[in-house]
Amino acid sequence: MTALRSMGAILRLFFAERRLALLGGIALAALTLIAGTALLGLSGWFITATALAGLSAVGAVAFDVFAPSAGIRFFAITRTVARYGERLVTHDAALAVLAGLRERLFLGWAAPEAAGRLADRPARLLFRLTLDIDALDSLYLRVLVPVLAAIAVTLAAAVFIGFIDPGTAFAFAAVVLGCGFLIPLLGLRAARRPGRRRAHALEVLRARAIDLVAGQTELVMTGRLAAQREALVEADRRQGEADDALNRVEVFTGAALSAAGGLLLALALLVAAALKGEGVVDAPLAALLLLVALAAFDPFGMLKRGVVECERALIAARRVAPRLAAPVVASALPAPEPGVALRLDGVAVGHAGSTRPVLTGVDLVVRAGERLAIVGASGAGKSTLLAAIAGEIGIKAGRLAAVSSTLLTQRTELFRDTLRGNLLIADPDADDARLLAALEAAGLGAVVAALPEGLGTLLGEGGLGLSGGQARRLALARLFLRAAPLWLLDEPTEGLDGATARDVVARVAAVSHGNATVFATHLRREAEVADRIVLIADGRIQAIANKGEPAFDAALATLRPD
Amino acid sequence: MSATPATAAPATATPAIAPGAASEPAPARRAASDAVPGLRAALALQIAAALLWLPQAALLAGAVAALASGGGLAEVTLPAAGIAGLGLVRALAEAGGGRIAFRAARAELSRRRAVAAVALARRSPLDIARPPSGLAASVLAEQAEAVVPYLSRFLPARYRAVVVPLVILACVLPLSWAAALILAVCAPLIPLFMALIGWRAKEASEAQLVEIGGMNAFLLDRLRGLATIRSFGAVEATARRLRADAENLRQRTMAVLRIAFLSSAVLELFSAVGVAMVAGYIGFHLLGMIGFGAWGARLGLGEGLFILLVAPAFFEPLRDLSAAWHDRAAGQAALAALDRLGADGLPVVGTDEPVPARSGSAPEVRLEGVRFVHAHRAGSGSSAPLFDGFDLTVAPGEHVALFAPSGAGKSTLLALVAGLAPPQAGQVFVGGEALTGESAARLRAGMAYIGQQPHIFAGTLKGNIGLGRAGIDAETVRAALRVARLEEVAALRGPAPIGEGGRGLSGGEALRLALARLAATPDAGLILADEPTAHLDSDTAAEVADGLLELARGRTLILATHDPLLAARMDRVIPLGNGEVAP
Repeated sequence: MTALRSMGAILRLFFAERRLALLGGIALAALTLIAGTALLGLSGWFITATALAGLSAVGAVAFDVFAPSAGIRFFAITRTVARYGERLVTHDAALAVLAGLRERLFLGWAAPEAAGRLADRPARLLFRLTLDIDALDSLYLRVLVPVLAAIAVTLAAAVFIGFIDPGTAFAFAAVVLGCGFLIPLLGLRAARRPGRRRAHALEVLRARAIDLVAGQTELVMTGRLAAQREALVEADRRQGEADDALNRVEVFTGAALSAAGGLLLALALLVAAALKGEGVVDAPLAALLLLVALAAFDPFGMLKRGVVECERALIAARRVAPRLAAPVVASALPAPEPGVALRLDGVAVGHAGSTRPVLTGVDLVVRAGERLAIVGASGAGKSTLLAAIAGEIGIKAGRLAAVSSTLLTQRTELFRDTLRGNLLIADPDADDARLLAALEAAGLGAVVAALPEGLGTLLGEGGLGLSGGQARRLALARLFLRAAPLWLLDEPTEGLDGATARDVVARVAAVSHGNATVFATHLRREAEVADRIVLIADGRIQAIANKGEPAFDAALATLRPD
Repeated sequence: MSATPATAAPATATPAIAPGAASEPAPARRAASDAVPGLRAALALQIAAALLWLPQAALLAGAVAALASGGGLAEVTLPAAGIAGLGLVRALAEAGGGRIAFRAARAELSRRRAVAAVALARRSPLDIARPPSGLAASVLAEQAEAVVPYLSRFLPARYRAVVVPLVILACVLPLSWAAALILAVCAPLIPLFMALIGWRAKEASEAQLVEIGGMNAFLLDRLRGLATIRSFGAVEATARRLRADAENLRQRTMAVLRIAFLSSAVLELFSAVGVAMVAGYIGFHLLGMIGFGAWGARLGLGEGLFILLVAPAFFEPLRDLSAAWHDRAAGQAALAALDRLGADGLPVVGTDEPVPARSGSAPEVRLEGVRFVHAHRAGSGSSAPLFDGFDLTVAPGEHVALFAPSGAGKSTLLALVAGLAPPQAGQVFVGGEALTGESAARLRAGMAYIGQQPHIFAGTLKGNIGLGRAGIDAETVRAALRVARLEEVAALRGPAPIGEGGRGLSGGEALRLALARLAATPDAGLILADEPTAHLDSDTAAEVADGLLELARGRTLILATHDPLLAARMDRVIPLGNGEVAP
């Protein structure tokens, strides 16, 4: 049931986005089908009627050929135009829905709790998200439009038949809607398990392919490469089994509908003969009825693809729906007293979803303008503490007050955008002069000046085309644009060579005049510019050393040189 | 464009093309129909199913004619039974054809994936042109899926579009050459007009669809940098930008689609007009107002109705082909991408099948006149050789450090010793035996390797130590955890997955995992360690170094590093640079 509720949430989002266009697309799809049926039915009536009229010369002359042939032309044109309109409208609507879905998903994932989960396991979540979006994209075109159009066409045909014989109309609607929905619903049920298996198998296949390539050296050296290859083939085999089961459902759904169509046609022939025997219809009308029956299952045939894709869409809906809830505005941390940038009293912090705190009993005050280095072994909780100060994760105990801060993440995060676009994230109102000044301060002035397109230069995914050092400097320029009273820098020069790293540290020190800065680091070159060093280990603060004290130099000495 | 979204590649968005006008090169055609066994049988069944409509239509037309001439229930019972029976056979033939085509196509996908996996596994990690893991995974997993609809839907549809209309035409022609002429004239007009209207629009629309695929990329790109976006308070602005870009893209796409859809509207128009004209002609002919067209005879109701009934079936295969059209581009792209993955490159030396180690004793390692040049890096022209005439001898049980700044070729040297790539000249000897294609796998079984960023496999922590190797039982794994001081991490993580799909390990934990793998490899007499302490804090670095030296006792160790502290703990330090061993 949660699946249905999730699906409801998705559909509401769709319809909130483009109600009229979505409904219009469905209406045009129905009109296309109706015009097609009418074209065939009227043609059959026309041919039968002309054949009867043509038997006598008088009849042939008296027969009004123009109204029916005009009707046939009308339906032929209507079908063409309606089809063209349907395609335009449905695609326009689908694209609009797509835009809305992506925007909402982004906002949903940007909520603090979701963002944390995303940071924990990005590859898998992002991969899933792509497939989820694609699965939802097909919901409107593959499921919604065919289902509603099929209902509309069947009812329209039934109403028409109702004018001739209500009983037949009722039976027609019952048989067509009954078979038309029962068969796909049975298919839907049969497709659920293989649908889930397929989704899972694809993820396994992908993970094994990643392991085969990224872990190749380890696999070669342990003699496991062939085994990994076989594991990949095995994953493909499992996926193939699920694919095969789904294809069986798809093919047999189609075949059942096709067989039902044949039976309906035979039935319609018998009914038409009976009605003609009773004098309810004449031969041309009987021909018309038969041709309407002939086309009755066509709209349902479009559902067979939807049947096998529906489970995937349900999985997607279940996963995506929680992200569509209106994003909660992150509650700002309470502000500390003036002159203080950060105050922690007995704070405990831990990973989201884990009950065990990483750090407990943290008491710390950072004055405005002060530079503080937090040092400790990897895994000691430096990044977790920074995340709590930034308000990214909640604290588990104690009191935390901080001015608004900007975090420079450990991994340089650049976007597939222009240099300008990457910088404007920090300050949307900055003009080019300000951006160039920030780049200059970060030591990128000359590099950017040499670019033919300057600030308009596009960066590849993850900042392609820039060296590691240049990418870090760009991230730094972005930081400089942000006049936050507290900067949080998570291992800002990790992975840079010594000379570049020292230059980066010096530039941060030069620009950060006035705001407090907290570094998380295990490198001597970063800690030595600090006013104070906080050493954390074993889940607590072990020591705090001020610059000039022997303890400060002692703490520096334990840190890693270049 | 992986996993084509319905909106991105709608069946309807791409114009159809006449069977004869299909423009892919001949080899692709041959490969598609001949190389995939089973497709011919599937095609025959599908064509038979389509043609079974002819007798059904004849029965229906005959029954209506009987009703018109005063017949009743008795006269139509037999035709009704025939229609139902033929319908059943037709449905079965359709299903059979569809199943066979699918299975053939799916088997072909498995075959291609396996071929690509073999090629990927053979490719040396030193090969610069080797596809990165993310790309390889998305080609092998998602993109490759497009092969199935291409082979199972598009190819049969293309042949059906040739055969079925011709047979129907052959059935209509003896009854009425005029009706046949109408159909024969309409059919070729479809591709002609579609070509006139939609050719360039089609290309433009394909480019546009690629851009829509790019919208996912934009979203993913921003989500990857979410921490930064959140930190800069740019969530709202980014969401607005996402929306504005999508909106902009929608408008541009629709401008193209308005024209591109015209070409598929042509298909609709001619098939609708074709049916309407056939109906009109037959009606006027039956009234006696048009006398020609039936070889001098006059059509009866049954014959006329039959022609009307088969007219839509004449156009149906063309519409199927049009609907399957986007499968073609995606399928061909997938086949090409798989072929690229399977391309040959610099190979790993020797087989990748597991071979048992001969002995666990520490071997001597000798390099004689080794030369290695990296293949062309894009844009940098020819590279200078990293090594040329390089000689080195490491005594059994000796611990040596290859000491050099990054980029001097330390890792490459280790890779050559491990046979991860062949040297262009010279020879590597391990334990006195030359490392060749024949001996490499066996020699490697006596080596262990630790890189600076060990790969973490999808699975549990313990599974990452054993890696499924034979002879590693739970006790060995426990001991390895103890040696690598990973017990607490293991207790904390339990059976939760790590690696792709799980929460990763910190840099220090990953290195300790590599040590645990080493500890579980007692047969390895030679340890190759590639900058194992880079990127670690000093405490963790010291811990890892201690662990490594502990495990390296009694074994030969070749260590690449630029950490002077670590290098100082070796028996011998070999400074590398300019391809020479410094004196």
